Amino acid sequence: MKLRKILALVLALTAVSAVALAEFDASKTIAVVSREEGSGTRGAFIELTGIATKDAEGKEVDNTYAEADFVNGTSLVMTTVAENEYAVGYASLSSVLHNESVKSIKVDGVEASTENILNQTYPIARPFNVVTKGELADPLAKDFMAFVMSADGQAVVAEDGLVPVAADAPAYTAANLSGNLSIGGSTSVAPVMELLVEAYSALNPNAVLDVQSTGSTAGVTGALDGTYGIGMASRALKDSEKEAGAVGTAIGIDGIAVIVSPVNPVENLSLEQVRQVFVGEITAWADLNQ
Amino acid sequence: MRGLFLASACVCVLAVGVICVFLFANGLPFFRAYSPVAFVSGTEWAPLRDVFGILPMIVGSFYVTFGALLLGAPVGILTAILMSRFASRPVVRFMKPAVALLAGIPSVVYGFFGMIVLVPFVRHAFGGTGKSVLVASILLAIMILPTIIQTAEAAISAVPGSYYEGSLALGATHEGSVFRAVVPAARPGIVSGLVLGIGRAIGETTAIIMVAGNNPRMPGDILKGVRTLTVNVLMEMGYAADLHRESLIATGVVLFVIVLAINFLFSFINRRRVQQ
Repeated sequence: MKLRKILALVLALTAVSAVALAEFDASKTIAVVSREEGSGTRGAFIELTGIATKDAEGKEVDNTYAEADFVNGTSLVMTTVAENEYAVGYASLSSVLHNESVKSIKVDGVEASTENILNQTYPIARPFNVVTKGELADPLAKDFMAFVMSADGQAVVAEDGLVPVAADAPAYTAANLSGNLSIGGSTSVAPVMELLVEAYSALNPNAVLDVQSTGSTAGVTGALDGTYGIGMASRALKDSEKEAGAVGTAIGIDGIAVIVSPVNPVENLSLEQVRQVFVGEITAWADLNQ
Repeated sequence: MRGLFLASACVCVLAVGVICVFLFANGLPFFRAYSPVAFVSGTEWAPLRDVFGILPMIVGSFYVTFGALLLGAPVGILTAILMSRFASRPVVRFMKPAVALLAGIPSVVYGFFGMIVLVPFVRHAFGGTGKSVLVASILLAIMILPTIIQTAEAAISAVPGSYYEGSLALGATHEGSVFRAVVPAARPGIVSGLVLGIGRAIGETTAIIMVAGNNPRMPGDILKGVRTLTVNVLMEMGYAADLHRESLIATGVVLFVIVLAINFLFSFINRRRVQQ
């Protein structure tokens, strides 16, 4: 009898807390979830949303909210956000697309989708470019680019979490060239480039390719002065660089989705609101007045 | 046969020695590029701008360890007293394996439990995000319980029966004899249990990273996040390069020195008490 009473009480309490969970209380504090220092996703996110600013010496300052919850890994960001109905986080689009436990919200009214990243309407995205000086002349560089833009190369790009740029690319047939090719530039593009080089070298064992991560600007300058056969840049080319003869080709696009719990009624934030939330200028959901 | 014993002992000593040498060899070069004083007294951690201040993490490590001890020590010591002097034999027969099991649970499981149960509980009960000093301390308190209980229980059980019987003969009650005669006699053993617990708490990483929020700023509010030294190393090692990477190894050196200092301090205290 006593046991049954306790059981009933426990059940009632569970029911009450379940109802409490289902209701979203907008007056609550926003639980900001961010990645750790050094994460590529964090680097891209703070740059694209304006969380990063430059100090007097021109060094980049990361203004991410000090009270944010810092987690080390995309999956941990998603678990944390899924588990807390007042949380907001960010993760690479490819990992969010097939995950039902979190909801990605629109930014400036644009849904985070592969399509909107390709037509450049979704704001938190950046192209991963390869940079060449005019048309490529070196046959090895030409063949490597053909591989990158082929179905095989784009599959590698997609596997690394980027949105591929060429949808119906032809398959690649190895030309089995030999020679040396030096690739250098953006530290963000380097990891996927290394995967591409690895896949290419497996098909063309006589070619020797090396990848150096030195930064986007160094990648463009290197491509222009011939230090690199192919340069890498994780941003669009500047007008001055184009005038000097640099040609940029996107090999994939890096998109970052802003995610909340599926219980959260918020559907849309402006890019400025995203910045304000992640630097801690807005701390309650009610202050967002969508 | 003697050689085998010697070789076994050498493995242990050698492991400690090799770890020391490698940790310092890899960690010390950082201090040529960055002032050690600025490193341990700086309050800002911004590795991408080459600003490395780990004072928030040092304070954070002590903060959660102290919290764990505050919650875990009374529970652990009282449990040990219960198991040694109060509980009936069937209860002890059930509790001993239960405590041993608690010690055997992997820390990632503790972390998961904290993340799924304790964090939402604290969030709903007290507000905030739930990832906090409080949850980290509660979780660590549970994790150090077996260490404290097992060491303290062994110490209390080892107190000669004559202490207890003598006290009873003088007219003291069972409770009075246990708390006034037996437990004080077991104090060195209980203290070493607490020191082992501190060692476990200050070195714990995986469970803490999942529940502490990991904010690299000075900790304050008990309901807000905190980053410990161990978390700092594990969290950023994956992406760190150059000076940033070296700074993380140097963080490990600082942690190592702190743990050594705590151990020396307590063995010093114990030795002085024995001499008295």
